[in-house]
Parts: sequence; structure tokens; C-alpha cells
Amino acid sequence: MPRGRQEERWRLPRGRHGLPPEVVSRSQRERLLAATMRIVAAKGYAATRVTDLTEEAGISRTTFYELFADKEACFLAAYDNAVDGLVRRISAAYEAERRWPDRIRAGLATLLEALAEDPAQARLGLVDVAAAGPAAQRRFRAAVQRLMPFFDEGRDFAPGGRNLPANASRMAAGAVVGLISDELVAGRAEELPSLLSDLLFATLIGYLGPDAAAREVGEEASKQLRT
Amino acid sequence: MPPPASPHGAKSKAKPVDIGGLIEQEHLPAGRDGLPQPLIAHSQRERILAAMAEACAAKGFGATTIADICKPAGVSRATFYELFEDKEDCLQASMELSLADAMGRLVEVYSPDKPWATMVRDATATFLDLLASRADFARMALIEAPAAGGRSFELYASGKRVLQALLDRGRGDPIEERAIPSSAGRGALAAAESLIAGQILAGNTARLPELLPDIVYIATIPYLGQDEALRQSREAETSLRPGAG
Repeated sequence: MPRGRQEERWRLPRGRHGLPPEVVSRSQRERLLAATMRIVAAKGYAATRVTDLTEEAGISRTTFYELFADKEACFLAAYDNAVDGLVRRISAAYEAERRWPDRIRAGLATLLEALAEDPAQARLGLVDVAAAGPAAQRRFRAAVQRLMPFFDEGRDFAPGGRNLPANASRMAAGAVVGLISDELVAGRAEELPSLLSDLLFATLIGYLGPDAAAREVGEEASKQLRT
Repeated sequence: MPPPASPHGAKSKAKPVDIGGLIEQEHLPAGRDGLPQPLIAHSQRERILAAMAEACAAKGFGATTIADICKPAGVSRATFYELFEDKEDCLQASMELSLADAMGRLVEVYSPDKPWATMVRDATATFLDLLASRADFARMALIEAPAAGGRSFELYASGKRVLQALLDRGRGDPIEERAIPSSAGRGALAAAESLIAGQILAGNTARLPELLPDIVYIATIPYLGQDEALRQSREAETSLRPGAG
């Protein structure tokens, strides 16, 4: 869920300028969404107050309540926005490859890099989000499901694709998120990129079986292999 | 149903599992019927635990207040604080009961004579039945506890390690094994957990037992291979039909 910090820090010049109000409002909203992810990642959802968000975003309370009804609505929008950004990055990496296992490898590598860029937001996005209440928990599940279309293509690629369990893609997406969460909880966010082999195996196995999945993982797996 | 006449059944190198030892190693309690059923919760403590599970399902653990718990439980704040230090303590007590229940059932299902795949199927079926019958507690154990931190998280993690160890026993003799990463069992468990948690949040807790064939597939495929995992999955599906097993 993290994005580059610098790109979020921009803001429009204060005072009189000729910009149309919808541009100002859009810039304020985007600033607020980025600020919300930063602050909630740092303080935790329960301890975050609307004031923290308006201060970090440099907007007034009035503006905040023009944009969102409350802290929860703002957080949910910020969360969805972060997920959108992440899925776009994964998609671009995935589309750049041709063979399905290579596409998955590229998508997973991008996901891991993105999460490693900002450990605090990664932890918020995958683990602590559940502490923000039932609506946030459902958003998290919806985010996990957004990984499913990438895996669905494996049904066409796999020789026995039609016989696979109905929930194959749901389980592949779940394995990705679960294995990454384990690393985040253990405080190993920076090392996430080294999880690529494990994730690749954990996701391909349901479609290709263990032997073919291990072959696809190839060199990367044999390095990490511990039997 | 007799043990499967599969080639893997015969050559299975799965080590016997000391389930009691595993549970003890994680300092987990194991006993049946630990969880209060809302309708038969007689003691104040049971009523508080049931009320908290219900309140968490409605608004999440973070937003649940002591008042949210006390009112439906029909106890005073003073009584709550006599029994529990705070909300976290209450969640922890609930996790302890949930785990005691789950581990107790695991012990009942486990037999050293069962082939590994049969044990995985039976344990999964039992676990899904337990979750389905206690929807609010299922939600707390699998959705709130992982994010709650502290002792509640530790209990959740301990329970997972026991299941993990059971799954990993399928690995068998390493010498003849495929190049399976050490995280294979963890990946399978994560896949199953995510599937279950998703169904709970979608309000489909009562239908969790239907996930059995898919979970059997993902749990057995690392060590038995795809063809045998599909066979195990179909067998699990058959066992779900009314009148079977």
C-alpha cells in the first residue's frame, strides 16, 4: 500500500491563485488520503484523531468534513486509494510478461518491492487494517480478491485447469497475503523481496502441482531450499 | 470409509504426530466445550465472553466498549472489572477458550494409525464445523485476534503453529523428496486461513464446512502431488454429502 513519500508531499501554493475550485479540492483530497495512510500507519487507527489528519495534510477541519463524514470514511477512502495504486503497479508488471508463470513472478516481485518501500504502511495495509473495524476488514478482503484475476489466468495455462477447485484463485491470493503478513509481523518488511521464491511456489502449486511449480521457481528456489 | 488404497497411502513416510506434545509445547490448553453458547451461558463470565464476541462481530474489537459488553451480558461494570482487567484481557480469555476447544477436538480426531491425508481431512472438517457452530467466536479468533497484538495474537500464532506442524508432517522422508520450499506448509495454511476468513467476513460462516474439499486440496498438494490431491479433494467432497461417513 505504500507509495513514494515524496510524491505525496506536493501542495498547491497558498493564498490567491487562479486555480478552479475543483482542482484545489482534488489536490486537498489526495493530500489528505496520503496523509491518512502515513498517520494511521504511524499512530494506529484507534489513536488517530481527525486533527492529526488535517494537520498532516495541511487542510482545515471544515475542508475535512466537506470531503468526508468522519475518520472512518476518510481511512476507507485512503485505504482503497492505496490499494488502487498498488494493483496498478502489479498490473503493469504482470502485463509486461507473456507466459503466465512469468507474469505471476513479475507481479509478485512488484508487490514485494512496493511493500518493502514503506514497512509501516505495508503493515497497516495487510495486518493492522483489521483493527480498524468491520468495514475496514471487508475492504481488506476486497483488496485480497483484487489479486484473484491474475491467478484466474492460471486455469487456462495449467494442463488440468478445468478440474481445479473453485476457490483456487482465492487460495492463491490468500497464500500471498498470509506469507507476506508473517514477514511483516516478524518485522522483516525490508527483506520482503527475498520472499519471491516462496510466494511463487505457494501460488503456482495449486495450478501446476509441486514438481512443475518447483521447476518454475527454479534457481531462486534451490538457493533457498531447506529440507 | 476405509483408508485410501492410494500408492501414497502405502509408501507414506509421514512421521507419527505427537499431537498432545505439540499442544503442550505451545502452552495451549486443550479441552472440550470451553466456549459458552449464548443460550446456555449461565455464569457471568460466560455471558460476558458471549456478549463480547457478539459486540466485536457488530463493530469490531477496537470500537467495542465495556458498556457494549456489559449491557447485553446483564452485568455491571464493576462485575466486569472483577472478572477481567480490561477489554484486552477479555479477548485473551475468549481466545484461550476458543483454542482449548479447537485443540481438544484436534486431539479427539487424531489417531497415529490414520494416514496423514486422512488426518488432514478429519482435522479440517472438525475445525470448520467448530467455526461454523460458533460464528462470533470464529470471527474473533481469525479476524480480531491477529490484529489485536499482545497475548491474544500470541495465542492465535500458537494455534497456527500446531496446525502448521500437523501439515508439515506430510513432508515425509526428505531424501527422496521434491524441491519443496520449507514454507510450503505455511503457504497452504495461509491459503486456507484466508479462504475461511473471507467467508466469515462475507457472512457465510455457517457454510464453512463446504470449504473442506478445496482446503484438503491445497493442504495435501505440496506433499502428495496434484493428482492425489485432486483425488483426496473429491473424496472429501463425497464425505460432505448427506448420508456419507
